[in-house]
Amino acid sequence: MTTLTALLLILLILMIIVGGKTGFKSYLSVVINACLLILVALLISWGVNIVLVGVIFIPLKLLTIIYLGTHDYTVAKNAFLTALCVSLIVMLIIILFENLAQTQGFGDQAGEELIGLSLNVGISFSQIAILVAIFSMLGAIAEASVAMSAGLLELKRHDPNITQEQLIRSGNEVGADVLGTAMNTILFGLFGSFLPIFIWYVRLNYSLFEILNDKLFVDEFLIIVYSFIGVLLTVPLTIIFLAHTLTNKENKK
Amino acid sequence: MKKNAKIWLSLAVLFVGIFFTLITYFSTAFASKPIAVITDRQITDTLVDKTKDNYENKDEVRQQNLHLKILSGKYKGKTFLVTNTYSPSQAVSQKYRPHQRVIVSFIKGKPKLVEPKRDWVVVLSMFLTISVIVLITGKQASLLLISMILNSIIFYFVIKSDVKENGTRIFLIYSIAAILFTFISLVIVQGFNQKMLVTLTATLLGVFVSFGIFYLVMRVTHERGIDYEAVDYATQDPRALFLSQTILGVLGAVMDEATDIVSSLYALAKHKSELTFKELFISGRTLGQEIMGPLINVLVLIFMAEALPMTILYLRDNNTLVYTFKYTLSLGVIQSLSSAIGIVLTVIFATLSSAVFLKNKKAEVVEK
Repeated sequence: MTTLTALLLILLILMIIVGGKTGFKSYLSVVINACLLILVALLISWGVNIVLVGVIFIPLKLLTIIYLGTHDYTVAKNAFLTALCVSLIVMLIIILFENLAQTQGFGDQAGEELIGLSLNVGISFSQIAILVAIFSMLGAIAEASVAMSAGLLELKRHDPNITQEQLIRSGNEVGADVLGTAMNTILFGLFGSFLPIFIWYVRLNYSLFEILNDKLFVDEFLIIVYSFIGVLLTVPLTIIFLAHTLTNKENKK
Repeated sequence: MKKNAKIWLSLAVLFVGIFFTLITYFSTAFASKPIAVITDRQITDTLVDKTKDNYENKDEVRQQNLHLKILSGKYKGKTFLVTNTYSPSQAVSQKYRPHQRVIVSFIKGKPKLVEPKRDWVVVLSMFLTISVIVLITGKQASLLLISMILNSIIFYFVIKSDVKENGTRIFLIYSIAAILFTFISLVIVQGFNQKMLVTLTATLLGVFVSFGIFYLVMRVTHERGIDYEAVDYATQDPRALFLSQTILGVLGAVMDEATDIVSSLYALAKHKSELTFKELFISGRTLGQEIMGPLINVLVLIFMAEALPMTILYLRDNNTLVYTFKYTLSLGVIQSLSSAIGIVLTVIFATLSSAVFLKNKKAEVVEK
């Protein structure tokens, strides 16, 4: 058995023990998500239009993360709408900054890995860079919006007569907690994934100026920025969405 | 903080940011390499060749003729004509734009384009983020920023000691790092109190136990299917590098989850006076179920999306899916899986450690 299969099995068993039926659904959502990413790579390599791939797969990934990961329908619906709105806003920021920074493709450091590969492959690595940036932040946004919606709906359930003003105030408190921890997840996740390149900089004595202009560093820095802004925007947008839907329901009564 | 104050402060940060961005953009004082500006209003761009590789991928080779005015260094003030060859897919080549500022290097008195100047984009995006943080979190912004700055400083020293030990003793270095990262992040956000200590215990248990399991599985399966050649940018023992990456990756997510569960259970224990252990356990598990899935997906996306360009290139060059997966994605997937195991286990650890809150209550009752 390979290490990969062994880990996959252990995770499945643990998730079923801890999570029961929801755990199994979450497991499926993780597997489907990973497979979707591979499918994206395949489609693009077959020459399918990258913008089209984005338009289809961005909402699809949010759907699988949010709907399969949570079992409360109201939480899921609110989280999905919020996450979709935030993604659209951050997408504009991504397109702007990717254009300014021009960090598409591979850095000089990748030289060794590119040996033997044909590099003039006729697909736009600028567009791929934008898609990668969007995918990297989608998870963080989905997670934050689920946490926010779940927290606020819980409040509403315990105290059905809560006013909109109180809801907004509590929403800000929940938001503060969610933000503090979500930012850590992003920061350490990226510390981990880019550890080798930082060691590279230190070993080869890069100056601060060289690091700040290096393609890979700027690329990574911008991904942190997009994820942070996305998670930040999630907090007020969740509150606005929830306050809106909850008051609408009351009017109907 | 009042709403208006937040908006003004956030705007002020943005303006300061634009000021610094302009300084970084125009300044040549901090540059360790010569800087030049492209003076052409329109760059002549000619088609040199239409290429077709062994895999029937069609692309072009194009050439730009640029006029460069050197802004710093020995050749300051001189103008040169240089050519830049690129292909529109821009995998490793670069297309330059009119009036762009670029970094150059001189070889035998002739300038060579290195790359576009990007530092100002970093400054601009950093201040934009700070301004959004201030706008949305108000007072809390300073805490968030301090926590991030301190963690980055620790990260710097971790790398320094890693390089000093040349990739050995990584268990020691990264274990200490994990403890420091957790302690500092939690103290800053929650303060030093019982709740924070419970979160700290749950987080560290989650990280170390899951890493232990991961390491055990690796040994038992004889690391079959892990190809350390595929570790990117390795300047030291790739296996050590891979293990260190795994510890760091799992840390953030586990801390996130432990904080969520412990805080909610703390509030619950405070709210409900006759809470039993069983009720607490069930609540913790329910919360955990809800957060688990999305959190694992965050890491899957971070670890896998990064490898997407290389994956596409491999596939485009007619490699099979199995071969491509092995060299570009398998390590990321293994890392996400070990983090995922940590995330699932933390549900249990966080709930069990929260049982301390129940004992508190009994003590209080006895005192009364």
